[in-house]
Amino acid sequence: MENESTEVKSYKLSFNGNGSTFFGIVVVNWLLSVITLSIYYPWAKAKQLKYMYSSTTLNDDSFAFNGTGKEMFKGYIKTLVIFGLLFAIFGVFTYYEMPTLGILVLYFGLFTIMPIAIHGSYRYRMSRSTWRGIRFGYRGDRTELMLNFFKWIFFTIISLGIYGSWMEMNLRSYLIGNIRMGDVEFRYKGKGLDYFLLGLKGFLLTLITLGIYSFWFYKSLFEYYVNNISAYKDGKEITFKSKATASDMFNLLFVNYIILIFTLGLGYAWVVTRTMNLVFSRIQLEGDIDLDSIQQTEADYTDATGEDMSDFLNIDFIM
Amino acid sequence: MNLTAATYFDGISSIPQQIELTLDELQGQLEFKTSIGFNEWGIEEISVEQFGNTLEIRHNDNKVALIKVNNPDFIAEFLGLLKQKGQLGWYHIFIHLGIKAHILIAVLILGLIVGGYFLIIPWVAEKAVLIIPEKYDASLGQTFFTEYVTKNNVDSAKTNTLNEFAAELKLNNSKQLHFTVVQSDIVNAFALPDGNIVVYTALLDKMKAYDELAGLIGHEVIHVNNRHTMKMLCRNLSGYIFISVVLTDVNGIMAVIADNARNLESLSFSRQFEQEADVQGTELMIQNGINPKGMTTLFTRLKSEEKVLVPTFISSHPMTDDRIKYINELIKDKPSFSTENKRLTELFQEIKN
Repeated sequence: MENESTEVKSYKLSFNGNGSTFFGIVVVNWLLSVITLSIYYPWAKAKQLKYMYSSTTLNDDSFAFNGTGKEMFKGYIKTLVIFGLLFAIFGVFTYYEMPTLGILVLYFGLFTIMPIAIHGSYRYRMSRSTWRGIRFGYRGDRTELMLNFFKWIFFTIISLGIYGSWMEMNLRSYLIGNIRMGDVEFRYKGKGLDYFLLGLKGFLLTLITLGIYSFWFYKSLFEYYVNNISAYKDGKEITFKSKATASDMFNLLFVNYIILIFTLGLGYAWVVTRTMNLVFSRIQLEGDIDLDSIQQTEADYTDATGEDMSDFLNIDFIM
Repeated sequence: MNLTAATYFDGISSIPQQIELTLDELQGQLEFKTSIGFNEWGIEEISVEQFGNTLEIRHNDNKVALIKVNNPDFIAEFLGLLKQKGQLGWYHIFIHLGIKAHILIAVLILGLIVGGYFLIIPWVAEKAVLIIPEKYDASLGQTFFTEYVTKNNVDSAKTNTLNEFAAELKLNNSKQLHFTVVQSDIVNAFALPDGNIVVYTALLDKMKAYDELAGLIGHEVIHVNNRHTMKMLCRNLSGYIFISVVLTDVNGIMAVIADNARNLESLSFSRQFEQEADVQGTELMIQNGINPKGMTTLFTRLKSEEKVLVPTFISSHPMTDDRIKYINELIKDKPSFSTENKRLTELFQEIKN
């Protein structure tokens, strides 16, 4: 049954969601959130994710998000308890007039939670994502990520933020490098120096051109992200390539802005679907991995605490 | 019996398997054969999702295995059966209401939020203030006073005279009032919730008669008497709680819009309190036998300052012309006050020197 040919395969990524359907989901979520005083939030999130995933297709088969509101609600409660405890400790220190120590403990707590949240979020989100019934997975090690994270944060602070570019690339490499889709492995090969120079050039040219260059800047950031991703399986490969142009970026951002302003925010659904549509229609895949031969390898993981903690911290690292 | 071609993914590999899917309406189950064997999925054990023309069917025990169907007739029949058996919940109905109904719901929610701001929040705040003990007003005012006012250049001689001036007036106050004169080029005066009222020398310099000073005192005292600061705090706080509870982060942009609305509305509350202080302050003047014209004279003098004080003055207070207009409206039927209060004139002259 195994197809051993090394011929170049064709792949097609696309996003088929439309604004009005997504608007329906957003509005119903909104209504239920208002009625339940926002307790509905985890279920609302599950509905949005389900729609986003299933509207995204690879070779005409859609991705799926199998997470549930219930799982995320449990995670939400755990998150509330964790943050509650952290702030309670801070409160106790403040009460006994040791605010400096209290703030130190609070910051240390938040910095510790960040990598734990990222790790948990990736494990959960990947495990609950499937394509053709094949689960994604995240194989990163929590302790390793935490140690790295602290090291990178430390370098970023002592370099007055310059190391931030390296940190971002290292983190991205670690996270994407640990993603699996069945027995397909992913890799990210972006480098801190390149990314730093890209950012520096973009910043300076945007400044000089009074913002006009920003569309080229967005284009090159997107390109740098996409072009450095690749997938491997049994010595075969798929490379990712961006076809986005600066005028794509202009059309996307400018029209999104207009939509939001003139609909008083109600056009949010269209802004999201337009963005997704552009992202997926501008990624070109090339390579020789046979998509019919992927094997199920990743286990189920239903603890959504990391996912909810990421929401609390407002970090969204999901690719 | 209903039959269709479908694609099956077994959750073991990504190979699409072409199957013949049978819907057995009597048994209430889906039946299909794979290379491994015969499968029966009862309709109570499955979950379905429809995306465009594709229906995805998953088994609740094994979420990764799925069947994809594209046949519209089969899908219609199958969904009909699910609906009949009560397997399609209220959510399905909500989602398929159509864009017009969804826009209507969105507008209604928006209306509810706006209504909430202008009707529910002021009401809640008004009630909340009654529950909050007055000692909070006192400690709040005291904190502000020691933090900011005492660090300024206080004119103690003028402070004493101003307190004597105020003591001559009947101000209907329940709290002990204390006036402080601060040396400053800024034309300003404000009342703290604990009964501390601060007047800047630049404002005193602008005045030419004691009835203007009485007008100012009347205005500021009403802020204290009616606990305006605490009411303002309660309204702002309930506004914040309202936003965070009702909107969470389901739609972040909505929250931003709501927050802007809150700021605007907070300014309108502020204007409402200012007007209340103007009107009731004028009434205090009349009760004390002081010519209420002093209030409008004061506003006319302040008007020349507006160039400097724009835009906060205009936004947090009513327009000066409007203030003069409604005060004039209020006092037009009142008898004229021609007798001069000797004691107040003396004290006023003392402050001016």
